[in-house]
Amino acid sequence: MLKFSNIVKSYKTGEVVVDALKGVSAEIKKGETVALCGPSGSGKSTLLNICGLLDDDYKGEIWLAGKAVSKDKKVMTQIRREKLGFIFQRYNLIPVMSVYENVEYPLLMLNMNKRERMDKVVDIINKVGLKDHISKRPDQLSGGQQQRVAIARALVKRPEIVIADEPTANLDTSTANMVIDLMRDLGNDLGCTFIVATHDHRMTDRCHRVLNLADGNLSAFNPYETHRRAG
Amino acid sequence: MRWISFAFFNVCRNGRRSLFTILVATVAVAAILTTSGFALFTYQSLAEKAARDEGNFIITHQKFLKAEEDIPLQYGLSDIEKLIAQLETDEDIKSVLPRINFNGLVSNGEKSSIFIGLGVDPEEFMVKGPFLTMLEGKALSNFDNEGEAEVVLGKELARNLKVTVGDYITLMSTTTDGALNAMDFTIRGIYTTGVPDLDKRQLYVKLSDAQSLLYTEKVSSLSVYLFDISKTQQTVLDYQKRDQSLEFTPWWERAFYYQSVKDLYNRIFGLLGGIMVLLVFFSISNTMAMTVSERTREIGTVSAMGSYQWEIIRNFVLESSMIGFIGAALGIVASAFIAWGLVYLGLEMPPPPGSNQGYPLTITFSWEVAGIVLLTMVLVCVLAALKAAYKGSSKSITEALSHV
Repeated sequence: MLKFSNIVKSYKTGEVVVDALKGVSAEIKKGETVALCGPSGSGKSTLLNICGLLDDDYKGEIWLAGKAVSKDKKVMTQIRREKLGFIFQRYNLIPVMSVYENVEYPLLMLNMNKRERMDKVVDIINKVGLKDHISKRPDQLSGGQQQRVAIARALVKRPEIVIADEPTANLDTSTANMVIDLMRDLGNDLGCTFIVATHDHRMTDRCHRVLNLADGNLSAFNPYETHRRAG
Repeated sequence: MRWISFAFFNVCRNGRRSLFTILVATVAVAAILTTSGFALFTYQSLAEKAARDEGNFIITHQKFLKAEEDIPLQYGLSDIEKLIAQLETDEDIKSVLPRINFNGLVSNGEKSSIFIGLGVDPEEFMVKGPFLTMLEGKALSNFDNEGEAEVVLGKELARNLKVTVGDYITLMSTTTDGALNAMDFTIRGIYTTGVPDLDKRQLYVKLSDAQSLLYTEKVSSLSVYLFDISKTQQTVLDYQKRDQSLEFTPWWERAFYYQSVKDLYNRIFGLLGGIMVLLVFFSISNTMAMTVSERTREIGTVSAMGSYQWEIIRNFVLESSMIGFIGAALGIVASAFIAWGLVYLGLEMPPPPGSNQGYPLTITFSWEVAGIVLLTMVLVCVLAALKAAYKGSSKSITEALSHV
């Protein structure tokens, strides 16, 4: 589904050049949920941004569904619009829009007709359990509810890949568990690939694979294997 | 429609700031419409006065307005009855009034003064309406004594000669043969034009009396009045095409005061309007810059979801246009109230330079000007938003998403 090869990314701060990613490569299969872990400054967000085609200033290659992704801004925007969904740590809902409108937003950009949009939006809002809050604005919802709206917004267009940046970081334990279960269930239902940057062990425990970043280098391990060994 | 409603909610999002910007636009539009309404009223009044004084157009000898005469009425019109009869068959023409411009000396027997005389058809006072403010006596209309030579004098001229209604004065002028002629006139009335310089010199006599004084059958010009003043240009063109031997001059070519006031007001109010538009531009630029800055993360979010830059800019432009539109619409309503209020209060403007009469402060409300101002405001707001939104949406997505 998504393959990135030899990704190099450097930041320049004044005269100092910092290598955030030092030639990382990996392949993520369709339907797989992959966690990106690592300490602060390890390059998680940088790699997530590159995988989400939010950043075009890097060296290396990215393939999506077997095709090399161009660094042309229009092409990247079109791919994000059609094939990618995003879940952010701080939810990033649009405050003036209701739950329905926030979830509908990605479909508006796809020029889908009103009836089809409504069916999809209502369906996904039911799935995330916010049927009774459909007309509310984000500031009328709790953090967990807002994150569920963000999940619905990311999944409503049935993207091929969902990029999630610390989706449980701002949530309490029970809400975080609920959000993690929701992402897993919906991901399984819709057959989406998830790439999740996280520190949360509850999250990594439920992932198929964990990509561990340290000092701009990548190492992979299987969390189930790790747990079996630990147990 | 969906984007418009989102824009509206975003405008309401920071209500106080939006309200302040809307108020700036409202005040600017009200100020522009009020001042331009005052200018429009002035133009209309001066245009009506000019068209009424001289006629919607005048017919003269080809050289009358271009060359100096050697003797009075050298370039006058003769055999005018035929021409008047011909003109009066035109359905658009309301009236044709012959006129003689002459000058000379006026005397009360002991004291003389220079005068500028107008020989007019008595019908002129009926056609033009009350264009002179009669202070004493009557105008030259409704002659009850056709045989007697009568004159109406400007206020200052009468004061200078120390004469009043019923007194006799003598007018002396050069005839069309170059000889001197004098005639006695009874003073029928004393008037004021509101312009002191005219009041000092001007007098009106009957056309026939002026012709007797100048010893001629000619007239200086024919003033033509139309039923519809807006047809002036076309009528002048038609007649000029038909008859090259005469000169047909529309009123605005003779309305020098109207033209100079219009030029002056256009510059003053144009500058004022420009300043107002700039104020709105700076205000809305500031508002939009703050709005874009505050919503940088939102820009990053929608960009991540696949919004193109133009779509992001469109949303801000819609918001800004909405602010401009609401502000301008309120400004239009405010200026309509101001226009009504001024009429209600009956405020007076002081006399303009060269005049001793004030005039009512009236604002002409024009939907056309209001429409142009509204469009200009919206355009200014669009430009201001374009600048801010372009800058905000040009940031990299990752930078925008990490904006606090």
